[in-house]
Amino acid sequence: MQDKKDESFNMVLASTVHDMKNSLGMLGESLKVIFQQIDPDIMNKATSNSYGVVQYEVSRVNNSLMQLLALYKLENNQLPFNPNYYNLFDFLDEQRLIHSPLLKAKNIECKLKVDEDLEGFFDDGLLATVLENIIGNAIRYTQSTICISCSQSQPLQIKIADDGPGYPEQMIELAGNYIQGINQSSGSTGLGLFFAQKIAIMHKHKDKVGKIQLSNGGQLGGGIFCIQLP
Amino acid sequence: MLFNLAKKNTLIVEDFAEFARSVRAMVYAMGATQVDIVYNAEDAIEACKARKYDIILSDYNLGPKKDGQQLLEELSKYHLLKSNCVFLMLTAENTSAMVMGAVEYQPDSYIAKPFTGNLLKSRLQKSIEKKDALLPISRSINNKKWQEALEHIQQVIELHPKYRMSCLRSHYEALKQLNKLDKALELVTQIVSQRSIPWAMLAVGEIYYLKNEFDKAIDIFRNMTKEFPMTLVGYDWLAKVQQKVGQPIDAQSTLVKAIEKSPKALQRQKDLGALAEQNNDLDAMTKAYRSAVKYSANSAFSSPDEYIKLTTALSQQIAQDPDISSDRIINEAELVFEQLDKTFITSSAARLRSSVAHAAFCKVSNEEEKQQKYLEMAEKRFQEFDEQLPAETSLELSTSLKDMGKLELAEEIISEAIQQNIDDQDFIQKASKLTSNQDLIKTSKQASQHNNKAIGNFKNKKYQAAIEHFDRAYKLTPNNINVSLNYVQSLLKQGQIDNNPINVIQLADKILTEMPQLAFSDVRYARYSELNRLTQLMLQKDT
Repeated sequence: MQDKKDESFNMVLASTVHDMKNSLGMLGESLKVIFQQIDPDIMNKATSNSYGVVQYEVSRVNNSLMQLLALYKLENNQLPFNPNYYNLFDFLDEQRLIHSPLLKAKNIECKLKVDEDLEGFFDDGLLATVLENIIGNAIRYTQSTICISCSQSQPLQIKIADDGPGYPEQMIELAGNYIQGINQSSGSTGLGLFFAQKIAIMHKHKDKVGKIQLSNGGQLGGGIFCIQLP
Repeated sequence: MLFNLAKKNTLIVEDFAEFARSVRAMVYAMGATQVDIVYNAEDAIEACKARKYDIILSDYNLGPKKDGQQLLEELSKYHLLKSNCVFLMLTAENTSAMVMGAVEYQPDSYIAKPFTGNLLKSRLQKSIEKKDALLPISRSINNKKWQEALEHIQQVIELHPKYRMSCLRSHYEALKQLNKLDKALELVTQIVSQRSIPWAMLAVGEIYYLKNEFDKAIDIFRNMTKEFPMTLVGYDWLAKVQQKVGQPIDAQSTLVKAIEKSPKALQRQKDLGALAEQNNDLDAMTKAYRSAVKYSANSAFSSPDEYIKLTTALSQQIAQDPDISSDRIINEAELVFEQLDKTFITSSAARLRSSVAHAAFCKVSNEEEKQQKYLEMAEKRFQEFDEQLPAETSLELSTSLKDMGKLELAEEIISEAIQQNIDDQDFIQKASKLTSNQDLIKTSKQASQHNNKAIGNFKNKKYQAAIEHFDRAYKLTPNNINVSLNYVQSLLKQGQIDNNPINVIQLADKILTEMPQLAFSDVRYARYSELNRLTQLMLQKDT
């Protein structure tokens, strides 16, 4: 009987999330149409910025829904894992592209430092969901620059660095226990890091397991998120 | 970089009209001029018959009927896609479709909704680039020229190391098709030794299976279901090998695990039903075929089989348990027959099967009048039936009719099937237990030997010898369509060599005229029609 209950809850959850995602999509589309109807001559910076904010919030909610659904499936051993070899330049360039409207609106430079021939082994759908959240947060906290870099593939190390205030010290110390970082009053990135951690652990090779690391400093001086996959 | 879709035909398959329009606006912005929108898979198939598309953007969830993956499979199987057509799957969550990672037909890319025009453009650009680079390989594969494909694969790997993995997957496929199993095994074993990739693990197991090394196949498929529990095709393979080595009970529990994760797979439910039947697990059989019938309603791969099997299971429920509430079961069965007749109203074979199965059910449920009614209906439908019944169907009908005492009709059906399927040894063995005419079994075996000898002669271009053996096979089983067509083909060949002697061509014409009628849907129809055309042409030349 327990199985039956889980199964129906799973279905309700999945279909509700899909429904919410569809609604979000419609919301985004409709706003785009409204935005396009505004005469460019009377468009002011405030309107343009507001639109950027709406786009950003829509994609943030969408990303959170995807993470929640994936985490739920993971708990129930139902999250598909399908790793393969991918070209890292193409993959990371695309992650940057996803955020290009907001980067442009906020006038943030996003550098990509990846060797064009570098190849990595990972589940692209899951890693994309992780990075979408992390890059989104970097955009939120950075001053003017973000750098996505990847210098090696064995183990694979992808870093997202910014020139913002950096991660709070207590968050860096949480290393590996990010569920405690979820703090309602600060709207903290607990979910994103928790999810990133879970996805990193799914990537195993021989006796090695993936992990994430937070630090501050580096060339840009802000926060550095690093996901390492064996 | 210059990127323009002006010369590309694009098809958008999306059940939400607003999204479809939004995607269309995106491709218009990339210069596209020819863009069609359809709202479901069925219309997409029609559209692809009418026009060859360069780009197809299809949603994965397409409402109640076929989904995007089924659409892709159907388009591929029926060769409705150009070799360089780019197929992008649009998904609601970027993990749902990934469970498909090891299936045979793969879209060029998955793209998670919602997405921006920029992202779509980037994906299209990369997919078109890749497809163009791999085009020589996919052309050879589409034409089943495997040796040629191998040469192209080497060239493409050198030119584009980025596409190495796709090339290796094609390399494996080509080696397998060329029956170079050891080389194929070496290739995929090496890939798997570096990294566990679902498709490559499946490939290793499949080769072990083909090499009859079943224990090794079981090991790898079992590892696979542990490491990738959501890659369900691994369970299907594991069950298949377990069944092969005589472990049907293990096979059944393997399929149950896959079905717990995803119940909506018609074929898997049918496989489970068949296993449960073999294991005499009547409740599991009933449950599986119940689900199969449920999912069959919306599937492109539905067949009368699951309906008939469900009614068989239901009748056994009544037969085995006299205390069971038979009214409820009878009602359910009646509903299934109703659905069966409605779904396959245009198939005379399905209607024939339905009436026989219905009569058989009524026999068990003690409804004598109804049983007579359906038996009469079956007889009428059989007399009107002018196509060829598949071997399996003939066994099903004949067994059931014999069981109900309709010996004459049972014999007629099985005799026809024996004459038509002389080369199917498995079938002949089963049929010999059903028929009372053991002479027919003997002649069909002789006919099969002559037919095989003649085919050997034909391949070695010894047409006169081929004709002699085909003639003997033909005289033994004059109704056999394959023998008739083979015979005609060798007569025409010899006729061409001897400059059309009239008696040879006339004989060919006579055989074709007297041959049992072939349905247009029969796979052999095209061959028949071509041989007939040639015969008529040669007859005209002569007069």
